[in-house]
Amino acid sequence: MKLREIVNLLHADVLVGGNLLDDIEVERCFSADLMSDVLGRTYADGILVTGITNPQAVRTAEIADIMAICIVRGKQPEAETVALAKQKDIPLFVTKLTMFEACGILYLKGLRGVAERK
Amino acid sequence: MTLKDLVKEFDLEVKAGSSYLDREVAGGYVSDLLSDVLAHAEDDVVWVTFHIHENIVAVASHKGLAGIVLVQGRVPEKDTVAKAEEEKIPIMVTPLSAFEFVGRLYKAGIRGAQANQC
Amino acid sequence: MAQQGKDPNMPDRVTKTQEMVYETTVGEVMAPKMVIVGPDQTMAEFRLILRDNGISGTPVVENGKLVGIISIEDLINALTENAINAPVRARMKTKVECLYTDELLVHCIAKFSKYGYRRYPVLNRDNELVGITTKGGIVEGLLRKLEMDYEQSESKAAVVRSCLSLQKLFEDISADEVRLSFKHDVAGQNLKDAGKAASELKNVLKKLGICPKLLRRVGVATYEAEINLASYTQGGEIRAQVDKGGIMVEAIDHGPGIPDVEVAMQPGYSTAPDWVRELGFGAGMGLANMKKCADEIVLKSSVPNGTHLTMQFRYKD
Repeated sequence: MKLREIVNLLHADVLVGGNLLDDIEVERCFSADLMSDVLGRTYADGILVTGITNPQAVRTAEIADIMAICIVRGKQPEAETVALAKQKDIPLFVTKLTMFEACGILYLKGLRGVAERK
Repeated sequence: MTLKDLVKEFDLEVKAGSSYLDREVAGGYVSDLLSDVLAHAEDDVVWVTFHIHENIVAVASHKGLAGIVLVQGRVPEKDTVAKAEEEKIPIMVTPLSAFEFVGRLYKAGIRGAQANQC
Repeated sequence: MAQQGKDPNMPDRVTKTQEMVYETTVGEVMAPKMVIVGPDQTMAEFRLILRDNGISGTPVVENGKLVGIISIEDLINALTENAINAPVRARMKTKVECLYTDELLVHCIAKFSKYGYRRYPVLNRDNELVGITTKGGIVEGLLRKLEMDYEQSESKAAVVRSCLSLQKLFEDISADEVRLSFKHDVAGQNLKDAGKAASELKNVLKKLGICPKLLRRVGVATYEAEINLASYTQGGEIRAQVDKGGIMVEAIDHGPGIPDVEVAMQPGYSTAPDWVRELGFGAGMGLANMKKCADEIVLKSSVPNGTHLTMQFRYKD
């Protein structure tokens, strides 16, 4: 589904990349707070749903070619995180929903998880 | 749903606390940030996490959580298992990723905490 | 690259590196500062010149004019024939294949294949000696130019997506030794800037045309190594080397070292303090992830001296 649909489903505030919402087609979801967890998976056209608000979320997304980042629980990302996301052109948005609710909703709408790298 | 139902429904492997699976599950919480769990997890939820170190038992015990499910086939450390038996906290394992497992829980009717206002 | 049987002026699939070869002149990549020898100097003196400058050959110049070329092979022959005190004039090659400053690299490659020499004096169109170039020097110059031009280029699509293109770049211009080196310091006990080295390395490799799959493997492994440096050590460095054999990445620190490497390599094993975990790390999967990404991995460590991690990545689609 398009990134815009995800943003709408989660009632999220878009902080970076509002102009890219219709350009990005998402198939998978990495739901994780531990970056090595994310890096240990195979490649996928996916978004990262996380509670991490520090810039490492953006660095991990860049290294793993993840398309966008959604922060949960209404947590505000650090200023440096937003700046880095802008610099790297990675859409960043925040939802007030918990990780559990966000994942549940996206799963029901057809998004799937990402397998471990073998 | 009880923990026992979860184990059966999702084919979970029980690593500790097998005598305490009759607990009712009030909801679900997924996070690897101990500070988030301590701040927001509600009583009697099942906690889905990637962590395997013994601190997770202390957190679960402190918050009165129903039990812990480890994702991606993670193997809990020996100390974690020992502590879990001591504190009467069931630890179960699923081969699925957090997104996939939470999605299925959500589909089965288990819900997360209400959206935060922070 | 120049292809057999094809008109070099009409490439059918132009990549960024191919573009460079068709557009760049010898003058742009040659070494202008050069060491020369006079024809009346002895081979013994020539040996010292080679040694002191760390080179393997020089043009022979008399009264400002190029009269020959002499190399280490000629020196070896002189030694074998007991002619170490012979004048350079007696041992040099007088028929010298040269390049001109305004010649396109694509034509030089054809010459390299034809003549097989390793170094070529470079003349301007007045036939004055203005520089010297080796195949290695050409590749280094190309790599420098590639990096500069990529910054200015608007078309990211010009970057080649095949894993083998970089290997081909090195192979088409075979050289004694061609290498791109990269080093980035990493601060210890601080996750603030951790990941920068991995990100920079990935970007450099992307500009060289490496395919996304290999980019990710190198990126992920380097990132994990960098996070380990930042989380557990007093600081260190990430080094990378790119050559025709592949990519090598090293993570080096000076303490405290890993007491038991085998235990550390087990997936899930972690010594992370809480502050590391709260920032999203410490799952104990770093080394396991590196193992999955790299073709070869060697971890050497001693307490308290530090750790040296080496990873090799081969070019393959």
